[in-house]
Amino acid sequence: MQRLDRIFESSARSLAQRTSRRSFIGVLGQILTGSLLIPLLPIDRIQRAEAATGPEGSPAAPGKVPAAAKGKSASKPYTEDQQSCEYWKYCAIDGFLCSCCGGSSHTCPPGTQMSVVSWIGTCHNPADGRDYIVSYNDCCGKASCGNCDCYRNERERPLYRLSRNNDVNWCMANTGSDYHCTVSVILGSAGP
Amino acid sequence: MLPIALLGATAAVGAAAQAGPAEDYALHCMGCHGVNAQGVPGKVPPLAHSLVRFMNSVEGRRYVLRVPGAANSMLSDARLAAVLNWVVAQFDAGDLGRATPQFGAQEVAANRHRPMAGVLATRAAVLKEIAAGGPAPAAEY
Repeated sequence: MQRLDRIFESSARSLAQRTSRRSFIGVLGQILTGSLLIPLLPIDRIQRAEAATGPEGSPAAPGKVPAAAKGKSASKPYTEDQQSCEYWKYCAIDGFLCSCCGGSSHTCPPGTQMSVVSWIGTCHNPADGRDYIVSYNDCCGKASCGNCDCYRNERERPLYRLSRNNDVNWCMANTGSDYHCTVSVILGSAGP
Repeated sequence: MLPIALLGATAAVGAAAQAGPAEDYALHCMGCHGVNAQGVPGKVPPLAHSLVRFMNSVEGRRYVLRVPGAANSMLSDARLAAVLNWVVAQFDAGDLGRATPQFGAQEVAANRHRPMAGVLATRAAVLKEIAAGGPAPAAEY
């Protein structure tokens, strides 16, 4: 025990002879300053924030996330609500959701006609983990619905790539070319 | 009316990895030309029972590869050739009672980059040549 005391005493005296209290305070200050700077390092926190609040600060949409959706895109909210812009089938849509306008996600509201030409996209269905070809037809013949405006346009290109730009009234080839809302019709599987 | 048809010809988005011609047709052509390549009367030219006649004409082949919808599509030369060949096999098979010369990547590359200023005038001239040898597709596009 005495030996242990001697060891500690000698090491403490040695330390006291070599260093000052002022240097101790300096080192402590460096440690505190350094630890304060750690949060300023460039670390991606967007995914964690989106998982907690949704991509635009809205609360994460309710709904049970299927197993196939987990891990595939954990940062995206999952919803089965077809009146929500986040519904998987709307990944390339640009317009008012017909499900909020008296129709459904794939049928036009009464008094409108489905466009004969359409925008085509592919969307990933998290429920079964597969990709689907989706036709986005406008419903035509009545004034704009105005409900549930949804702009996602996945893989759209700027206007100078005209064949890949969706800033188009797809009612243009119909007799009544007034735009009312947009439906999303699954055409088939996009892969094997 | 013409711009509508041209714009619609390749209006599509998205692409499946390693897509075959059927998928390329769905993603790059079907939005306007329709599921059965029937087009929209007076607005979007049909491909069914029509493309085959262009492909059997020298000027028709050049025309098909230079129309804005085809020439400006996001498809590579080989994939554009493949999707055109697929359309004829799928919708025009047996129309002329003989085999249709297939498109290849080289022929596509040699034609698609030559801009076509007067689409209507070019189409009218091509249809005249086709009509000399048999029934011609509709002229109003």
